Amino acid sequence: MSARTSGIDPKMLELLVCPLTKGRLSFDAERNELISEKAKLAYPVRDGIPIMLMSEARKILD
Amino acid sequence: MSASSDNAQKSHASFVTEQFGQQARAYLESAVHSAGEDLDIMERAVGERPEAIALDMGCGGGHVTFRLAPHVQKIVAYDLSTDMLETVAGEAAKRGLANVVTKNGAAEQLPCPDNSFDVVATRFSAHHWRDVPAGIAQMYRAAKPGGLALFADAVAHEDPLIDTWLQSIELLRDPSHVRDFKVSEWEAMVTAAGFRVREVRRLRIRLEFASWIKRIRTPEVNAAAIRALQAQAPAEVAKHFAFEADGSFMLDTAVVIAEKA
Repeated sequence: MSARTSGIDPKMLELLVCPLTKGRLSFDAERNELISEKAKLAYPVRDGIPIMLMSEARKILD
Repeated sequence: MSASSDNAQKSHASFVTEQFGQQARAYLESAVHSAGEDLDIMERAVGERPEAIALDMGCGGGHVTFRLAPHVQKIVAYDLSTDMLETVAGEAAKRGLANVVTKNGAAEQLPCPDNSFDVVATRFSAHHWRDVPAGIAQMYRAAKPGGLALFADAVAHEDPLIDTWLQSIELLRDPSHVRDFKVSEWEAMVTAAGFRVREVRRLRIRLEFASWIKRIRTPEVNAAAIRALQAQAPAEVAKHFAFEADGSFMLDTAVVIAEKA
């Protein structure tokens, strides 16, 4: 994996919330996704850029 | 035309994304975008804030980001187009600006916590938003109390005749255009969001027709329609925009400087 896709600046999470709930996100390094527990959505990180669009997010099934 | 029927089913958001995604470099390199008195005004308003966290909402080619980055601790470049953001990230790296962070999303749903930015700025972006009051409300929410807010965009004239001509030309040039607001509307929207307007600076910039059309790949038929409209413009309109023989004209812009009370 290249440096650009291997993850995100941990400090970025400080300024990033779920666009839907405005709640906190956790980073799943394995899947390269930002998880919104409340919204049950996983936002992808592509080329180091968090894609914070609900249309691009994966629904997390219980 | 096939181009228009191809686009018939697209959402506004995907239209904006495509319009700009394919032209990311043209916006990075555009003289109208990379330089300008409005950028100077924004840079001066920010001054030196080594502790500040800043937001460039609808960053496009990243020109506000590049201007402000040396004066702040960190700047978030936020845009609907990932192609634009990749261009911005690449250019930031080339310029040695390590404090630029890119995020993708819509203006109306800013994924940032409340009260988190010392500076919130937007330039040449709001005229593409479907809901400008919602976008401004998001900027207000994300700004810290006492935070600085900068809104720069093309603006319409208070005279409805000149206003209609501007919107018509803009739409023919770029079907992802939504609206250039009047300065009075900007002041009202910014105030309604809760900001206190400190100053409004009005400017005029010359748009060179050929590069203005090329930048967004305006179809030939639309460019011809703009030229045809210009040829029919009433005296007041022609005078206001100072239409030139090659189609170039003067565009009104403004920078609204405000703060979160």
